[in-house]
Amino acid sequence: MKGQKTPYLELEAKMKEAEALIRVLRTHQVDAIVGERHIMLVRLKQAEENLKSSRNQLRALAAYLLSVRENERAVIARELHDEFGQALTSLQLGLSWVAAKVTPKQQPLREKIRSLSTLTSTMIRSVRKIARELRPGVLDELGLVKTLQSEVREFEGHTGIRCRFETNLGKVRFDRLGGVAVFRIVQAALTNVARHAEASRAIIALRKRKKDLILTVSDNGKGITKKQVSSQNSLGIIGMRERALALDGTLTLTGSKSEGTTLTVRIPLSRVLTGKGS
Amino acid sequence: MRKTRRREGGRSAAAGGATHVFRLFVAGNESNSAQAKGNLVRLCEEHLKGRYQIETVDVLKDAVTAHENNVLVTPTLILIRPLPKVTVLGNLSDTSQVLAALRLTGDER
Repeated sequence: MKGQKTPYLELEAKMKEAEALIRVLRTHQVDAIVGERHIMLVRLKQAEENLKSSRNQLRALAAYLLSVRENERAVIARELHDEFGQALTSLQLGLSWVAAKVTPKQQPLREKIRSLSTLTSTMIRSVRKIARELRPGVLDELGLVKTLQSEVREFEGHTGIRCRFETNLGKVRFDRLGGVAVFRIVQAALTNVARHAEASRAIIALRKRKKDLILTVSDNGKGITKKQVSSQNSLGIIGMRERALALDGTLTLTGSKSEGTTLTVRIPLSRVLTGKGS
Repeated sequence: MRKTRRREGGRSAAAGGATHVFRLFVAGNESNSAQAKGNLVRLCEEHLKGRYQIETVDVLKDAVTAHENNVLVTPTLILIRPLPKVTVLGNLSDTSQVLAALRLTGDER
């Protein structure tokens, strides 16, 4: 009986030692591992703190770069719309004036003016489209919800993917940076739906839940793998996540072949609404 | 390299408690090792005033003693006396667990 008990007690003691070792390693309470030939210093806590600090710096830099990019886009959009758009409109008016002066005998000239006028109209539309893509004017004028409604309608028209936009947000005022961030996330998410999902339907929902703003973009496509979600090549996803993180938010992506893909972004309302709105 | 710190003959020793002999294995002045040293002295001052002895072994200078005592990581504290021997790993920041492990709770006061 005694002979059986001793090995058991020894085993139990070893188990306890192993548990203690795991506990101190997990809680970073170890600063050296004593080997047979070498002693290895471990500075896990310090390494983790350094990593955390570098990550925070990178995140701050990413947020700064995003805001700089948005500002530059806004400036370029304004210049394009005001300067170039204005010049093209003047050109269009000039062509109309010339067209009015052309006599019926000058048929070839009339044809040329008509074709130049068509070309100018196309250019005006293109400039407006580029300016809108760079910085959707309606975002400033009409607010995020209406801009998203319009964006979703436009997306449906371009791609043929049936879309539904849902929201429970009443009259809230989004802060400029917050509104742009959410808008850009929706744009990127819809781009991914069009490019990769092979979906026929998509639902975009922007809801207020307790103290958070919840954005979901779900589709009925082929889903997404965990590898794709965490891949360093998924720049669109990285960009969306950075935008969410810059507002103290989170972004998750889930997907399967049978259920399609769902993107969920959760951002504290206090980070996206203006003081009055929140 | 061993450093011994003795505190004997104080009020508690006069009260008749046994002297506790500790051996603390550290790695130079790394943060956990420094914390363990500080925590051990504090606990001893609070619970074993005048009747404890701490021997500090720096494994970076004396690896042999560490091997002899089967030390795998630092900080490691071994209660040499009174028997039975007890080994505690970590920076000794969890006071209640350390006191329980070293049998310094309750009547040991």
